[in-house]
Amino acid sequence: MMLLAAILIPIVGGALVMVLPFKKRAHMAVYLEIVVVITSLLVGLIISEGTTGRFPIVKFVNNLSLSLELDGCGMVFAGLVSALWPLAMLYSFEYMKKEKHEKVFFMFYTMTYGITLGIAFAEDMLTMYFFYELLTLVTVPLVLHTLSREAILASRKYLYYSLGGAAFAFIGLVFLMIYGTTVDFTYGGVLTPETLGDKTNTLLLIYVIAFMGFGVKAAICPFNSWLPQAGVAPTPVTALLHAVAVVKAGAFAIIRLTYYSFGTDFLIGTWAQYVVMGVVMFTIVYGCSRALKETHIKRRLAYSTISNLSYILFGVTIMTPLGLAGALTHLVFHAVMKICSFFCAGAIMYQTEKHYVHELDGLGRKMPAVFGVFTVSSLALMGVPGLCGFISKWNLANAAVMSGNVMACFGIGALLISALLTAIYMLSIVIRAFFPPEDFDMESVKEYRDPNWMMLFPLFLFVAAMIIFGLHSAPIVQFFTDISNGVL
Amino acid sequence: MNESVTILFPIFFPILMGVLLLVGKEPKKKALLSRYTGGVLLLTALMVLGLVWGKEVSFTMFFLTGRLPVYFRVDSIGKVFAFVVTVVWVLAGFFSFEYMKAENAPRRFFGFYLIVYGILIGLDFSGNMITFYMFYEMMTLLSMPLVLHERTKAAIMAGLKYMFYSFCGAYMVLFGLYFVYRYANTLTFTAKGVLDATLTAGNEKLLLVVAFFMLLGFSVKAGMFPFHGWLPVAHPEAPAPASAVLSGVIVKGGVLGIIRVIFYLFGADFLRGTWVQTTMLILSLVTVFMGSMLAYLEKGMKKRLAYSTVSQVSYILFGLFLLDPVSLTGSLLHVVFHAFIKCGLFLCAGAIIFRTGKRRVDELTGIGKEMPVTIWCFTLCSLALIGIPPASGFISKWYLCEGALHTKTAVFSWLGPVILLISALLTAGYLLPVTIKGFFPGEDYDYAALVKKEPVKLMLVPMVILAALAFVLGIVPEGLIRQLSAIAGQLM
Repeated sequence: MMLLAAILIPIVGGALVMVLPFKKRAHMAVYLEIVVVITSLLVGLIISEGTTGRFPIVKFVNNLSLSLELDGCGMVFAGLVSALWPLAMLYSFEYMKKEKHEKVFFMFYTMTYGITLGIAFAEDMLTMYFFYELLTLVTVPLVLHTLSREAILASRKYLYYSLGGAAFAFIGLVFLMIYGTTVDFTYGGVLTPETLGDKTNTLLLIYVIAFMGFGVKAAICPFNSWLPQAGVAPTPVTALLHAVAVVKAGAFAIIRLTYYSFGTDFLIGTWAQYVVMGVVMFTIVYGCSRALKETHIKRRLAYSTISNLSYILFGVTIMTPLGLAGALTHLVFHAVMKICSFFCAGAIMYQTEKHYVHELDGLGRKMPAVFGVFTVSSLALMGVPGLCGFISKWNLANAAVMSGNVMACFGIGALLISALLTAIYMLSIVIRAFFPPEDFDMESVKEYRDPNWMMLFPLFLFVAAMIIFGLHSAPIVQFFTDISNGVL
Repeated sequence: MNESVTILFPIFFPILMGVLLLVGKEPKKKALLSRYTGGVLLLTALMVLGLVWGKEVSFTMFFLTGRLPVYFRVDSIGKVFAFVVTVVWVLAGFFSFEYMKAENAPRRFFGFYLIVYGILIGLDFSGNMITFYMFYEMMTLLSMPLVLHERTKAAIMAGLKYMFYSFCGAYMVLFGLYFVYRYANTLTFTAKGVLDATLTAGNEKLLLVVAFFMLLGFSVKAGMFPFHGWLPVAHPEAPAPASAVLSGVIVKGGVLGIIRVIFYLFGADFLRGTWVQTTMLILSLVTVFMGSMLAYLEKGMKKRLAYSTVSQVSYILFGLFLLDPVSLTGSLLHVVFHAFIKCGLFLCAGAIIFRTGKRRVDELTGIGKEMPVTIWCFTLCSLALIGIPPASGFISKWYLCEGALHTKTAVFSWLGPVILLISALLTAGYLLPVTIKGFFPGEDYDYAALVKKEPVKLMLVPMVILAALAFVLGIVPEGLIRQLSAIAGQLM
């Protein structure tokens, strides 16, 4: 019951924005922040009480239903989203001052929260699929927001890609219904030798198809081009949705598909594993190389996201409990790192109207807080020990080594090549900002300064999180390990 | 409070002070800046010396995750490196107080200078590979501002090149680290290695590849062929005191890494006679020769010294890869001597630039008449680097060659010494002309226009001390040799 409430509060609360007569902008801000915070508190409460039983909402024919349940994996995703949303909301009040159609924006922005929670709480494949489709629909207006030609093209592309991907995923769902014992998520999978018969290869093919289908949202190569394009959306959207909620819904769905539906026993060591792992490894390197070439700050970060999402999927495709633990670690840690760097980019754009890397000369001297935070998040993304990126990379690589899978060992190589490229494309920004050439005219950046507390506060929180997770990760990693062993 | 906590002070005190200097306000008086830096340097040096002469202690700070502690230990090899770092850092630091008057933003320079000092001490006293790796990356990141300090286009490009090469190396190390973690019980440095025989059985081939990657990764910092490209670009671009410490001790970070990998993780026996050893020996000998040759052909003073570093550090690596106690002693001796010598040479070059602005070797005719003390220091250091007895370089090269002749590494036992000797000749060829032309400018030199340009005492004293060390350690080396050969004995 509480699960449903957590989903509905932001959806209803968001929709009411259009109806309620707000006298001042600040009133709307306070109202929305309250809605979001209440939801987050509720989610926190639910998580702290541990796993819940099954809660059916609607019952269709046979054993098909929409129902909710909270398990370990869902806790991670729901917890992550609920921790980030209030902060992103706070940030966007300041950021959206300069944009039009605020109300529409905030309505959809808040509703997305509820739907993302729906994905986290979904108890079976059908429910997840339902929320997954809703997520696409509700986020299209956010990409469309500026109504520029670029935005229209981007949102159209986003829509087609996502719906197409979901269609492929649907094929997977159908086959699971036929050959699985149930469509409920069950740790270890729902396929049994009896139901399978001689259809092993067919089902492996279906797994690959469904993987690619969900992979569209997780921006695996060759289905990634929507993500950098969708960067035309306002920064709060790119930061929260295109670095965390939406894309990680894709990764989360793949985790569900691999560990909770098809099952790793069925998949491990088959050609299907090698195919998906190959795709993922290629995406890791591809995303980084494209980021290197890109000079638009947000698009550079978007390509970096593509690469990092595939880190998560790399962990998934190792198909061992350790691999899942690594994937979950990176799912959470990457969210913190990337949302932080996106918010920095947003703050830069908001304060200076500069969008390209080569315009950033000397800005670090004038906006030390933003660029300081950006530096920390860059180092974390590179995986410098002492920050959270190192831990997740360590867990992923450790899982790869332990699995004894030769291809996974090459995957470590991919991770490290990507880390090197990350160093190049992130630190070149940092160096430019802090060490402009000696003949640079500091007068030209004189009037720029750090943004106000609404923007800075989330940034500092993220930095604190990166450092704390980096230095003391044992409890949270233990939690992930429990989940990946099927305890939670 | 546990007394082993004292390890943390010389690491975090300069880092903290450096950070304070960077974020604080510009001091009203310039002199305050150098007093502050000097004070911090001396205090830290005292703490380090206290640790070096104290007993071996260890301290676990906290756990990053699972079995990965941040762990410090003062062990014998770490003491040697920490001692060298401290001597060089303090002397170059005092030199820089005068030198940096001519540069922009001295505050930023001193801030990072202090921070890197703390990090190097942390690197030397790291008790396991993770801690070592952590400080290794921080060393790269925070020494970069020293390289690009002058912010010319060339300097910034040099800084980027330095960083990317170094990270490339660091990630190769990290790649290996994952596997070592799998096949060893622990990543804590243990003499003779940590590999678990039951786990490694059957996986020797994989582990050799892993060892190769790790050694190659660290050799990037040590400027070994084929990863030497950054060194002659980055070192000369930095201000002279920074070049001195970069060439003198920061490259030794790579050397220490290699020592840790060979003798403390894999164990010398694991690598002896394998293709890894052969390949590394070839690469290091190629570098010895190539570095000297390039230095010989180079006309820029600081760049010539940088190429010399490429060559000389590979002497050290050659000694390490021979996996022989005598040559290891030679390597450790060369670590100490080369640090003092090269720091001295760079400071002399810096003094020349500071007083005359001359950066090319062929402009230095008659320089010995203008700055006699500086050039005398330069000459002493040169003699030591060439290896002319009784100067210090002779001792280390003697041990290196003796070790090489001992080993049964086929061609290397005689090829090594031959190449070292050829390189010594080249060293003479690229260093001595400065002295000769400096003191004997020839008949057409205009003595009337001669102006004494000797720098102030603050610059002279560090140079004199380093030159004296370079010479005196060659005359009375017994104590040092005894210490270092004892260490070498423990490791094999």
